[in-house]
Amino acid sequence: MQRDSAAPCLSERATGMALSVLTEIHQLLKALSEAGQSGSIDLRSLPLSDADREQLENVLGRGELQAQLNLAGESEVWETTYPGVWWIRHKGAGGKIATEQISVCRIPEILITHPADIEAAAARLKQELETTHV
Amino acid sequence: MSDKKTLGEMLTERGVSRRTFLKYASYTASIMALPPTAATAIAQGIANARRQSVIWLSFQECTGCTESITRAHTPSIEDLIFDFISLDYHHTLQNASGHAAEAAREAAMKENAGEYIVVVDGSVPLKDDGIYSTIAGITNLQMLEETCKDAFAVIAVGSCATFGGIPGANPNPTGAVPISDIITDKPIINISGCPPIPEAMTGVISYLLSFGSIPELDHLGRPKAFFGEAIHDRCYRRPFYERGMFAKSFDDEGARQGWCLFEVGCKGPVAYNACATLKWNGGVSFPIQSGHGCLGCSEPNFWDMGGFYKPLSTAKGDPLKWAGGAAVAGAAIGLASAAVARKKRNDILKEGN
Repeated sequence: MQRDSAAPCLSERATGMALSVLTEIHQLLKALSEAGQSGSIDLRSLPLSDADREQLENVLGRGELQAQLNLAGESEVWETTYPGVWWIRHKGAGGKIATEQISVCRIPEILITHPADIEAAAARLKQELETTHV
Repeated sequence: MSDKKTLGEMLTERGVSRRTFLKYASYTASIMALPPTAATAIAQGIANARRQSVIWLSFQECTGCTESITRAHTPSIEDLIFDFISLDYHHTLQNASGHAAEAAREAAMKENAGEYIVVVDGSVPLKDDGIYSTIAGITNLQMLEETCKDAFAVIAVGSCATFGGIPGANPNPTGAVPISDIITDKPIINISGCPPIPEAMTGVISYLLSFGSIPELDHLGRPKAFFGEAIHDRCYRRPFYERGMFAKSFDDEGARQGWCLFEVGCKGPVAYNACATLKWNGGVSFPIQSGHGCLGCSEPNFWDMGGFYKPLSTAKGDPLKWAGGAAVAGAAIGLASAAVARKKRNDILKEGN
């Protein structure tokens, strides 16, 4: 995270935003539990200071499942210590965070294999079998 | 040229998975301030779209806008846009030159009539029959009208194309006007800035690809996702403004402490852009964070706003009293400027006749 050395004031202070986000996550978890309804929060759209982000990450923690994805740059997905609450971090140029969200769902869509990719995989393997002699 | 396959089919053949589309879509939804749930629809929209033909016209400009959109980085999520579009004409980036370059533009227009997007950077000179800027033997005005005739939409990038910019600054010797003064029968999206934030340009193109429609625009034709808030509203130095703590010069204690730069000429309160949130160079910094006031480069007539280091005028010399009227003042300046720009074009044309 880049900081301005001339004005470190806000990025180092907690503003209380982490608590607001946690409250929203709780509402989303209730909706998932009671109605099976998924939801997401775009962290980039919120005026979170570095301290808020750190607070949020510390409270949620890292649970039993973590995945690293290599998709036009790195991405990280982990289930927090609260099952059903996932942290999704996509990195862009130079390894900087391009977008980051909390997804409250059974499993984030980005971890599910898309039917088009399955179809392409089947075609590719068929071609491999036709040309390879093992 | 545009490929007949969908982007999904085309990129799957190249080993690009739908997860990559989804990642790009999450990024686009985020920068366009759309709900995260819109990412699925965007990914599906892009996968089903054909490669979009884009004709990029450069007129009275400095190539800063192109520098901005093509800033050199390792291949990454931000660069995927170049897989989604077919850049059929662009002076700086295309290999072809001379007649071959013009043939490429004409072929793209013919093959994609009604579907291609025209991106324009630079203003258009109208004085003396437009002779101050010509390409391939025709004036910028002729090339613009000819190329936009069968376009799906026009994206004016940079403050020169959107508002006349520096070529249009006083005394405007060439009679430079913005694109919206000339093209009146096509949807025009203005992405102002000197240069514009690259994500604003790629975000808008991705939106067009995904939804086939124009994003919500403000009263100056700019996408609200990027131009909906003043720099001042999202500036991390704003708490100092609220407390009346201002740097009085660039080397005083206030400047060293990161106080508000209003009194050294910052135009953040009347500049609508996303610099404070998206920042520049991959999110590293933006002018105010680097210690310089905002120039207001995304606003009409920013070059003639009274001096970069002169504070915005205040009713009674009290900057704090000024704050409430900032947004209203910004909107009023914008509306007035748009009307002035239209009148300016008519005057120049009359003068020429």
